[in-house]
Amino acid sequence: MNLEFTDVSYGVDDTEILTDISLALESGEIVTIIGPSGAGKTTLLRLAALFEQPTDGTIRCDGTDPWGLSRDDRLAIRRRIGMVFQQASLFDAPVARNVDIGRRVRRPWPQRIRGFLERLLPRRLDDSPAVDERTLEALELVGLRDAWDRDPASLSGGEAQRVSFARALAADPDLLVLDEPTSDLDPRNTAILERAIERAREHDHGVLLATHDMHQAERISDRVAFLLEGELVEVGPSDRVFENPRDERTARFVRGDLLYDDNELFA
Amino acid sequence: MEYRRRAVLRAGATGIAAAVAGCLGSNNTDGEGSIAGEELALATTTSTYDTGLLDEINAAFQERFGAQVAANAQGTGQAIESARNGNADVILVHARSQEDEFMREGYGVNRRDLMFNDFVVVGPSDDPAGVGDTDQATAAFEAIADAQATFVSRGDDSGTHTKELVVWSEAGLEPGGEWYQETGSGMGDTLTIADESSAYTLADRGTVLSMQDTVDLEIALQGPIEGGPELLANPYGIMAINPEIHDNVNYQLAMAYIGFVTSPEGQQLIGDYTANGQQLFFPEALAEDPDFQQYVPEDWQPDSEGE
Amino acid sequence: MALEFIAEPTYLRSIIRVSLTVSLTAIVLSTLVSLPIAFVVGFAEFPGKRLLTAIINTGMGFPSVAVGLLVLLFISNDGPLGTLELVYTPEAMIISQCILAAPVITGVALSAVESVDDAVRDAAYGVGGTRTDVALITLKEARYGVITGILAGFGRAISEVGSVLIVGGNIAYADGTSKTRTITTAITFETRRGEFETALALGAVLIVLVLLVNGIVLRLGGR
Repeated sequence: MNLEFTDVSYGVDDTEILTDISLALESGEIVTIIGPSGAGKTTLLRLAALFEQPTDGTIRCDGTDPWGLSRDDRLAIRRRIGMVFQQASLFDAPVARNVDIGRRVRRPWPQRIRGFLERLLPRRLDDSPAVDERTLEALELVGLRDAWDRDPASLSGGEAQRVSFARALAADPDLLVLDEPTSDLDPRNTAILERAIERAREHDHGVLLATHDMHQAERISDRVAFLLEGELVEVGPSDRVFENPRDERTARFVRGDLLYDDNELFA
Repeated sequence: MEYRRRAVLRAGATGIAAAVAGCLGSNNTDGEGSIAGEELALATTTSTYDTGLLDEINAAFQERFGAQVAANAQGTGQAIESARNGNADVILVHARSQEDEFMREGYGVNRRDLMFNDFVVVGPSDDPAGVGDTDQATAAFEAIADAQATFVSRGDDSGTHTKELVVWSEAGLEPGGEWYQETGSGMGDTLTIADESSAYTLADRGTVLSMQDTVDLEIALQGPIEGGPELLANPYGIMAINPEIHDNVNYQLAMAYIGFVTSPEGQQLIGDYTANGQQLFFPEALAEDPDFQQYVPEDWQPDSEGE
Repeated sequence: MALEFIAEPTYLRSIIRVSLTVSLTAIVLSTLVSLPIAFVVGFAEFPGKRLLTAIINTGMGFPSVAVGLLVLLFISNDGPLGTLELVYTPEAMIISQCILAAPVITGVALSAVESVDDAVRDAAYGVGGTRTDVALITLKEARYGVITGILAGFGRAISEVGSVLIVGGNIAYADGTSKTRTITTAITFETRRGEFETALALGAVLIVLVLLVNGIVLRLGGR
């Protein structure tokens, strides 16, 4: 999916959180948002995933403004976007049911009610397997195929986050929106997820990622955008932004200059 | 598959609706004049009910007429209020002044004296106030007040409480102070409290006899049944609720009940009823020389103005 | 003399039957009303939401005698609902227990729904769920809290004595069969007569019943 922000602003009550954001993302591209905490990265991602509506400016998905559509039409677009949050937030149900929730909510209502009633029976009515093959494939992508019947409470933090990722992938999204997905993970789990992200790009999906890990940004991004206090200071190819930043502020942030006074940043 | 499920759901819904409708069905509306299968709502006091007399009378009534009696035992005031609101068909209490007011207001009709027993003054076995040496209710209460011996009062406008206040008033005393405690409870509870506090109290003989085994109190002053003062008499009256005021009351059934309990058979049951081998109630509905005062408020005169 | 009632199984059976029928029916009816209210309030944001929550929670502590009196006022034969002839019937007791249990069920269920993490609701929305889907998923996450609320409501209903005494009248027929006598009003009755042992024994019966119901429900709920 091609995603385009044009002069998007977003505010709550009288506070402006994002100002005049213009950003484009193509299918098969990984764009990473970097910036200090509180810059507005999460808000930007939530706008991209159509959780919130911009207070100003336009968002376009494959050329269409979803906020100009009816709720049902917008839902169709929303269902092509998968979001992964910093916390796994798995539901209180076995792993497989977490992962195929996306598929289940897309079924028509009569089927869903039937499925619900069938689950009340002690045994299955037909010979269908206990878990759908597509669910297993999604879990395979994050290396947890054998965990399909486990209780989420028994998963480690890293495993839970990987399941959360599989949950987003299982719905087969054209655009993946990831909010610091590996922040709480150890290097091994991080590597597994980064490999899954790259595989998504290979399938021509778009990926919009927020991270505070500079190395990760350098590692996997095609393009990088630096967000500071609600404004996009600089956007460009990953190599260029890191090696030859055009803006002084980008340079200092990328260098790791965290010990500055707020006022100095605008000097 | 679809069709069958819908049929099952429909049958289930119908079944539930029918069951609920059955629950909310009203009383028997058999228009033949027969009272069999009907239910009488009897309002009475807890002290009367707790003796167990009514269960016996009601069982006999049911056997004779085929109608069940739902006896609702409450405090005297509550029972009268219940009847006033039309929530009872017949009322049986022992508070003549309140019964008179009920009649004057038009709610109660066809009053009959039903039975009587009496009150007694009970107290701790060592009788610290010397009540046993008195032979008048007023003198007994005076002795208790003088000795400041603990006295437990019902304090709830019941028949017993009403009588207690009359005695204090006749003795010219206004009880108060630490030794005079109001429980606001029923007779059984009050006796228990008096027992626990080694106190005196005024109680109806019936409850005293039925609780003989559970409390250690002793009768310090007898009532008229055993030769004590007339002031301690405790008459019970029964009335039907006026169907002109509350058209939902089952007047026919109420009169059948009143007829039964004031009949020789009913009065015999009352007289034969014992607790711990002692007679609790004395029938007084029937006499060769009927007491006409039982049908009207006590001070009613044919030519008196206003009711 | 003390435990003679056990020798009369009809009496004991009939008061247990009345207690269970009244309270279970009251809980089912109350749940049908309380849960939708809890969900609507839980999911919505509106001015005065906190005030409404406070009112619901206050309702949990509404004195049972007061509720009984209010219901009696309405169903009394000369009251507004007098024609239904509900006074001193088990149906009246069901009504008053519904009123007593509803705030408990609503309040606890509401609290359970609200305590479902926002992140879980975001996750439900993020996989492409509609608002209905988010609501349903939140409900499932809150199911243990909701069940706890229902059981708490049942506990309140079956163990209360004030309202059923006033609207029911603790009536038993001459042969001992209960019309509106519940275990709790029977306990009051026996206490009033000084039969403490019998009263305590009835109390034990009540506790066992409550344990049974709790056990069955929790077992069915899969915990």
